[in-house]
Amino acid sequence: MVHADDRLLLSGYRVLDLSGPLGFHCVKLLADFGADVVKIETPSGDEARRVPPFKNDSPHPEKSLYFLHLNANKRGITLDVEKPDGRAILFELCRTADVVIETFRPVQCAELGLTYPQLSAHNPGLVVASITPFGQSGPWRDYKATDIAGLALGNLLYLAGEPGEPPLQSPGEIAYGMASTYGAFGIAVALYHRAESGKGQHIDVSMHECAAHIAGYFIPNYGYTGTKPARASRKGEETDLYDPYPTKNGYVRIFIIPVEQWRRLVEWMGRPTSISGPEFEKMAYRRKNPEPVHKAISEFCLRYTKEELYEEGQKRRLSVTPINTVGEFMESPQVKARQTFIEVEHPVIGKYLHFGPVPRFSETPGRIVRAAPLLGEHNQEIYCGELGMSKDDLVALRASGVI
Amino acid sequence: MSKLPLEGIRVLELTTGAAGPTVARVLCEFGAEVIRCETRLRGDGHRGEDPALWNKKPDFMKLQRGKKSFTVNMQTQKGRELVKQLVTKSDVVVENFGLGILEKWGLNYPQLKQINPTCILIRVKGMGCTGPHAADLTYGPNVGNTMGMTYLWNYPGATTATAEPRTQHPDFMGGVTGAFAVVLALLHRKKTGRGQWIDSAQVEIGASLLGPKYLEYSVNQRESRPEGNRSLIAAPYGPYRCKGDDRWCVIAIYTQSEWERFAGILERSGLSREDKFATHFQRIRHREKLDKWVTRWSLERDPYEVMETLQAIDVGAAVVQDVEDQFKRDPQYAARGFLVKLSEPEAGDVVTEGVPVRLSVTPGRVRGTAPLMGEHTREIAREVLGLSDKEIAALDEEQVLY
Repeated sequence: MVHADDRLLLSGYRVLDLSGPLGFHCVKLLADFGADVVKIETPSGDEARRVPPFKNDSPHPEKSLYFLHLNANKRGITLDVEKPDGRAILFELCRTADVVIETFRPVQCAELGLTYPQLSAHNPGLVVASITPFGQSGPWRDYKATDIAGLALGNLLYLAGEPGEPPLQSPGEIAYGMASTYGAFGIAVALYHRAESGKGQHIDVSMHECAAHIAGYFIPNYGYTGTKPARASRKGEETDLYDPYPTKNGYVRIFIIPVEQWRRLVEWMGRPTSISGPEFEKMAYRRKNPEPVHKAISEFCLRYTKEELYEEGQKRRLSVTPINTVGEFMESPQVKARQTFIEVEHPVIGKYLHFGPVPRFSETPGRIVRAAPLLGEHNQEIYCGELGMSKDDLVALRASGVI
Repeated sequence: MSKLPLEGIRVLELTTGAAGPTVARVLCEFGAEVIRCETRLRGDGHRGEDPALWNKKPDFMKLQRGKKSFTVNMQTQKGRELVKQLVTKSDVVVENFGLGILEKWGLNYPQLKQINPTCILIRVKGMGCTGPHAADLTYGPNVGNTMGMTYLWNYPGATTATAEPRTQHPDFMGGVTGAFAVVLALLHRKKTGRGQWIDSAQVEIGASLLGPKYLEYSVNQRESRPEGNRSLIAAPYGPYRCKGDDRWCVIAIYTQSEWERFAGILERSGLSREDKFATHFQRIRHREKLDKWVTRWSLERDPYEVMETLQAIDVGAAVVQDVEDQFKRDPQYAARGFLVKLSEPEAGDVVTEGVPVRLSVTPGRVRGTAPLMGEHTREIAREVLGLSDKEIAALDEEQVLY
């Protein structure tokens, strides 16, 4: 079995990953901090292997960069859990596992016979996390929903984009990301509890609820004041110093809250008379009179590059940030200095830069030990090496489509 | 009520903004005692500048519910000493002030470790604790600018920067990820007896969700561009306009069988099926015409009708809800009791989001209202710091417990 290493947070914990994209970031968090993750794919391969982008735009199952990012540090096996032999093997694996993560809708889970009581029947210490679109209860529990549906129902889509134009989905699957993060937190709490009690439990995470949390303060504010914001124009009728301002080479954003910040900004701009009056020191006034503010700041910003404004603004203790492209972020001095990306080698992709484990622990840092598994890469290692099957067993399972 | 899993863990919170408070809020919901240090010299960003409104801000309630408020003036030597004493009696310290503040107070990790070797310190920073931009002044909403998120969150071919998307995912993702990290560190401490510190950069936590975009740059040497609501693996896909003012419903069709069921519904309502939409490949090629075809159907219908009709045939659909819908028309939040009402002593009733992760044996819960400014100062001074009433009165007099 796995030898526990004190330098890794989750060393010695075995995680079975039955998840789809809704749970990928959760499993990634556990894998990056040392858990022994076994990813279970259907014999035809995870659907995520078909998600773009692909290396050199070649839509090959081992070249999905989406799959590559989300599945590092895992070992991979193929197993059809819908077949009786496949189910039996899964239950065998559950005997020695600490955590199972699944993202089936509850009705599917029941049909497949993979409910928490079934999975934990021979292992009362097992922690099962079900990260699903709507959770395990309620009238929508079996509804179908991907990330964009989480954004839609959570009031994230409605508020993004231009008035009159369609609402605009965010990049990065942030509803999946938030549900996965809450799932990882729940698993950490369950393992902490298990370290005292020896008991496992079932964790129910709803993407629909997690998405509501990301939207900020609209729920508490609406309940209190009845405020119902709509998509805001970038012309900034009410968003004040929050809008993007064009510079010589792109955009910056300036975010001003306390009055001292406003004073420092006006000082930096050389005290333009149009906005230097004391009345402008009040945010409420600026919000009601955005035109002179926007005009003065726009004129000022156009004289510089976004890098110049970023450096000088931060020196003056102002929250100025550049609107970067992805490449500009990767090439930025901060990212280079913190070595946010780590070189990893994958047999098909070759050497590439992988997003490193975050956050960073002083005593037990995460690490990337292997790139995403090839389809069925660890079948022999796990089926023969750990479950004691013979090579003939593998051939038979393969022939019957179980692995 | 049942015992909560983090009962017995004391968290000392030295924070402002949202990401730091969220770390402690999540820990609080699972049983940690959270002592939030603040000062009457200035209201926290979410209490606001006006003392009359300090205890009346709904956004503050969301961030601080269930915690204790200890007012202390860190500009005084005695105040800093009291906080150091609280550190010695805490398991976790959460901080997210600008880099340098903790150092000024003599509480950066090497110093903190000397007075409490098993303590876990988490430092939440926009850009992290190291590197040339460690000291940047950032707020959650503009952390997305630096990582490429804001740039990408736009319509295809857009020539101007995106409108304000009004979300603060680096604050909330950062907060919950921080809580995850703290519990892992507590688990590690339980096994080894050792504490440690965590450098948690909101920009990195937010950016980790954009991984495939960075790979597009590093592997394919190409910048990702804004994709708006486009997808290559689903069609129809995205928000479709419905009946009503600014009403939309998301439809997302990934498989041929979903398409067949969906097209059947549209045909039965009177639309004629078109051959050019027969396969996924064709639907992607004729996406604009397809969207028009679908909109002819959706525009006649209420968004909830669209969602229910399509979910009934197992096709993914979801209303683009606004906050009023979340309160009044979302049956799922209601059935699961997701929206929780707090009866705040000064503000009155405030509704906040409940706990979206439910553990069968050790569930968390919203543990109470947000603290009034300084509500627990005396209690903590007496019971945690062991000060006498006379000592407390003197510290009050000197504006140390302020």
